[in-house]
Amino acid sequence: MSEVLESLFVLGTSHHATPLEVRERFALTEAQASDLQKQLHTLEGIRECLVLNTCNRLEIYCLADSIERAKEISGLICDKQNVPSELYQQFAYSHNNLEALQHLLEVSAGLDSQMVGETEILGQLKQAYVTAREAHCTGKVLNRLFEKSFQAAKVTRTQTGITRGKISIGNVTVDLASRIFGKLGNSRVLLLGSGEVGEKTAQALKSRGIGDISVSSRTFENADTLANNLGVTAIDFDSFVDQLEHFDIIICSTAAPDALISKEVMTRAMNQRPERPCFLIDLAMPRDVDPSVEEVENVYLYNLDDLSNIANENLEARKAEIDKAREILKKHAWNLWLQLRRRELMLKA
Amino acid sequence: MFNEITITDGTAFKVAAAVYGGAFLFALVVLLMRRAYSRTIMFALLCGGFLIQTIALNLRGAEIKACPLGNPFEIAQFLAWSLVLLFFIIGPAFRLRLLGGFTAGLATLLVAGSFALPSWDAPYPPGIFGDNHWIELHAALAIFSYGFFAILSLVSAMFLIQQHGLKKKQFKGVYQYLPSVQQLDLMARRLLITGVIVLTASLAFGAVFWINNFELVPVFKLTATCLIWLGYLTVFILRIQKKLVTRRHAIATIALFILAMASLWPVQSARDTEALTEGLPTQVER
Repeated sequence: MSEVLESLFVLGTSHHATPLEVRERFALTEAQASDLQKQLHTLEGIRECLVLNTCNRLEIYCLADSIERAKEISGLICDKQNVPSELYQQFAYSHNNLEALQHLLEVSAGLDSQMVGETEILGQLKQAYVTAREAHCTGKVLNRLFEKSFQAAKVTRTQTGITRGKISIGNVTVDLASRIFGKLGNSRVLLLGSGEVGEKTAQALKSRGIGDISVSSRTFENADTLANNLGVTAIDFDSFVDQLEHFDIIICSTAAPDALISKEVMTRAMNQRPERPCFLIDLAMPRDVDPSVEEVENVYLYNLDDLSNIANENLEARKAEIDKAREILKKHAWNLWLQLRRRELMLKA
Repeated sequence: MFNEITITDGTAFKVAAAVYGGAFLFALVVLLMRRAYSRTIMFALLCGGFLIQTIALNLRGAEIKACPLGNPFEIAQFLAWSLVLLFFIIGPAFRLRLLGGFTAGLATLLVAGSFALPSWDAPYPPGIFGDNHWIELHAALAIFSYGFFAILSLVSAMFLIQQHGLKKKQFKGVYQYLPSVQQLDLMARRLLITGVIVLTASLAFGAVFWINNFELVPVFKLTATCLIWLGYLTVFILRIQKKLVTRRHAIATIALFILAMASLWPVQSARDTEALTEGLPTQVER
């Protein structure tokens, strides 16, 4: 067991060091992430594993017979995504044992998130854990670590103020929309894709008085379900391009592999509404809107990184809270580590 | 009423300039501290400056027995007065944040500029407009329309700043206190339409005088005025046709206002030169 604990590691890439363009190349679909997890579990020497795949990070938590297994895993990711291993090595990070544990706790508490203190990551982590457990990829050690990390995240949020203030993408989007349109009551919103972040952004806009929201998704059933949840209407995905000119705010969060809105498409739409600005929020990974769309007059394009940067500008005042949260998590990590060691000794005895 | 006031028009103009300057400094300091200034304080300061300037213009008008628009100094003062008056109409109605600070800045620039060149306040004979009230109305309306264009250029500048902030993803500082780009663009459109209507009316009144007194209107003045009017009319038509909108519209209105201001001094000089060549008195001791 001692050897087992010494080979707990996390390997991954995240928004901290990896630019958006590179993250796009490593981005996995839900099915691809699931396949990778199953593949990892079949590798020799991998005892437990979990793949955490979000728009800001791709992390693999592993319990293996040796730390050296990390190299094999990185090779597998590069082969799967068809990217050179040098590129992965340039941006990837890894943590072992206690450091890996501390990292997991910080991720679950939102301290490692692009928008520090956000709670969405906890949901994503829980989902990744459920998927891995159901696929029998996790065992006693990772199960305990993840369950404890969820508890630690809750304690940290209760005991500190890291979740206070406006840092969500939704609220930042509402603020930006107000700087563009003033009162939002008359604005028309198009939500492209049925992703969770997009839905939350639309909800934030709706809470500020926007009533005219349309949802469009490649799978009409998904769009219809989301439209029912939001109490809005669904429109046909094939015709959204022809209707772009009617919308003031366009939120994109599809899983499309290529850009859906090009500069030409947007220029054509803006020619029909030259006096009215258009606010594009690209929350998709890979991006749904061609970056050159920003050059179109009266168009304001913000992607995930832009929104996160703005949100993080508001975080200066939270520095003391973040330090406090980190201290709490350190104690949790150390206690958890000692518990695992004790169990290991008991098993040995 | 004003005969009982012991202050001179010159002193009142200086006090008004100081109050406008104070209002601008107040806005600048608070914004540099990355805070929003109090609208009440700004409104009170501009009110104070405006009232003192009104007294000064009245004193000057009583002295020359006409609307004080006889030299560049008076034109600049009247323009600043029109600008602040329009702010009082537009500011509270449309609640455009920071417009007070910007108005104070431009008013300060205009009145300070008028003091910077003492030659601008050259004395001129009383009854400059003769007994023709149409030409007096023409002059007053023309400068009032410039007041519209002055506030239009401020709104356009605010639009460009806000748009720059949004395009460059700037969130803090002055950007967060400025009105939305859509509000500013809509206001610019309304100001342009009103300004063009007022200027056209002014030129129509002037034309009545010009037809009957062709030789009294300097050619340079007539050309410069018509060019400025044509410029604004072109921008107006292009705007209505939605061919000149948002950023380009803002740049065009600022450029036109600078041109209009730059043309004021040569127009005034042309009038004095014309009067000299015709042997008319251009200056008297005040």
